[in-house]
Amino acid sequence: MKKLQSSKQQLTVYLRQASMALLGILLFTTGAAADDITFTATPGSKNAIFKNTSTINYNIDVINSLKTNEDGKLTYRITTEKGVFVAEDSLKISVKNNDGARYQLSMPAGKPGFYKVSFMINVSDDDDTIRRVFGVDPDKIRSVYSKPADFDQFWDDTKAELAKIPPNFRMTEMKDSDRNNRKVYLIEMQSLDNLTIRAWLTIPVTKSKTRKFPVYLGLPGYQVPLKPSYASDPDIAILYLNVRGQGNSRDVIHTSRTDFITYNIEDKNKYVMRGVIMDCIRAIDFICTRPELDKDKIFVEGGSMGGYLTVATAGLDKRVKLFSAENPILSNIRGLDGVVQWPVNDIKAYVKIHPGLTYDKIMDNMDYFDAKNFATSINSSILVGIGLLDFLAPPNDEYTLYNNIPKDKKIMIFENLSHEVGNDYVSYQFHWLHDSFALF
Amino acid sequence: MKFLFVVAITTTAIQNKGYASAFPVRPGRLLLSPSATYFFADKEWDSTGVKKSFPGNGKFTSQSYSLYAEYGISRRFSAVALLPYVVNNYTQGSVSYPSSGLTDMETGLKYYLANINYIYYFAIQGTAITPLYSSQSLGYAEEGAEFKLSFAGSGELFDRNYYFNIDNAIRQYFGNGGPLQYRYNGTFGITLDKLFKNQLSVSLGGFYTTSNFKQFNVINPYTNKNFSFTQASLSYGHAFSHDFSVFLTGGQFITGRNTSVGTSASIAIVYRIGGI
Repeated sequence: MKKLQSSKQQLTVYLRQASMALLGILLFTTGAAADDITFTATPGSKNAIFKNTSTINYNIDVINSLKTNEDGKLTYRITTEKGVFVAEDSLKISVKNNDGARYQLSMPAGKPGFYKVSFMINVSDDDDTIRRVFGVDPDKIRSVYSKPADFDQFWDDTKAELAKIPPNFRMTEMKDSDRNNRKVYLIEMQSLDNLTIRAWLTIPVTKSKTRKFPVYLGLPGYQVPLKPSYASDPDIAILYLNVRGQGNSRDVIHTSRTDFITYNIEDKNKYVMRGVIMDCIRAIDFICTRPELDKDKIFVEGGSMGGYLTVATAGLDKRVKLFSAENPILSNIRGLDGVVQWPVNDIKAYVKIHPGLTYDKIMDNMDYFDAKNFATSINSSILVGIGLLDFLAPPNDEYTLYNNIPKDKKIMIFENLSHEVGNDYVSYQFHWLHDSFALF
Repeated sequence: MKFLFVVAITTTAIQNKGYASAFPVRPGRLLLSPSATYFFADKEWDSTGVKKSFPGNGKFTSQSYSLYAEYGISRRFSAVALLPYVVNNYTQGSVSYPSSGLTDMETGLKYYLANINYIYYFAIQGTAITPLYSSQSLGYAEEGAEFKLSFAGSGELFDRNYYFNIDNAIRQYFGNGGPLQYRYNGTFGITLDKLFKNQLSVSLGGFYTTSNFKQFNVINPYTNKNFSFTQASLSYGHAFSHDFSVFLTGGQFITGRNTSVGTSASIAIVYRIGGI
């Protein structure tokens, strides 16, 4: 985006004095405290995504609950996700006591991407700032970092290596843990490097001896131990997987929370995520062996690292019908430097204590674990959820992943959320899953 | 989720018509709904829509019993059937005109057309009408066919779940003077509790029927071919379990032409069997 000229011509301002009725509504909706200046910033386009436009519009509603008239200025400042300055401008504002006013900001749009924008109000008796993110033609966002030529071969070899490990599936009913009309099973299996990994399977109680349940496979977040799920859905079996190094699968790999992400990161053939991703494939192997589970109706979901594992699994395994990845991390990994602190700082700290190792060398390895590189091979249906304020999975990098998925995809954007998705996502996912599996 | 919603069936009093929701039925699941309806009328609307008593203070009563069934064949297709039986009686002074028997059987195929964000659903249905009687005392005694477009949706409103269902159907009877009918029904229901145990719904439905046979038969309204009416109904539903619900419905004809002014009360039971 070219640097904007700071001029009032580019800052189209529409001011109208709001009625007390409007003030009342805004006070109600924003929960503004008495004796304060509050304001909201509302994008002029749904989810703060602006397409095929040359301007970015925001409505700024200012509420003055003070007993004095307030004069000052409203400023916006736009930067890239890396903090590179793009544009800034301001205008004078004046809000009467116990009144409100609306200002419409019109800012030039730049090249496709996501941008941070800060709205700052400085008046006689108060200062306040709102930070938001907006997107410009995100469907056109592409990573500048390429996929390794032998990426697919690397993972074909890895899967072949996994296939040579006898899975030795063990399924133990935990009768003392049955609850909420679900039976609970501890699942154990051998995965890559012959490590034992474990999962919790809960199956709705049924009188039918032939019933096959659709399966929900839940993949874990970073260092999040998963327990059995007692969700009340009577139609779905739930398998929660604890990948190596997490939950009850820490027999061999039992790092500190910080060290897990860098475990053997200097060697792509030994990096912990190589085994972790294969653990997900093995869990699907397990599902496909069970007569009470419907291998044609598998749904895989995860958030954060679980979202990353969901994308990786979707790229590598064609047996799953539906995937749902919420805030997947580790996408466009080379582009994360200067944008996020984690895991970049941990990787740099790891480099410092390993002589001869460089950040670039690690990035060469991480190309094989980049979510966006798995995305090109996805051919199942996938739902992706992102938060525009996400400090771990920034929207620009999420879109490099999303735009790499060839087809049958949907993204849900939450403009005011960080590393999470909203209830709309949960609701949509529920109905999508049940409709797709004909669980009407 | 759509615990009660998918089984919401409105019984339109005198026509013995079960209006199935546009929501799909799970493959392998059989939805069975026996119902009983009592219908009463002692007034009529004439051909200009003027309300008046039946001649000689006559009155018409009908008890109808029907069995509605819908079976999920696949994710998209379900088979539907309706088998009605009626006991009619028209009395005028000391004279009675009773009739009873099976009437028009309906068999059809419903297709789940599309959805919008898994909130709004569209379905189409083709239905064959087969008379299970020979005399015209119970109906037209004509074969017929119907095409129906249904639209339904559900969501949250005031911290409760709601649903709606809109049916529009065109039915043609293939006999001499066989009427062409436009049938419509709109239902809005809302749950009364968060466990989906109780619901209340209101419906507005009716027929608009045209034929070159325009006479009004007060003794047996079933055989009228040129009429129209609008009926409002209120229904309460209670789910005793996930697979067993009961609906109580009261209905009143509020406008009409060339038809009786009907009041009805009905009970419908809904079972959901299999599909697991």
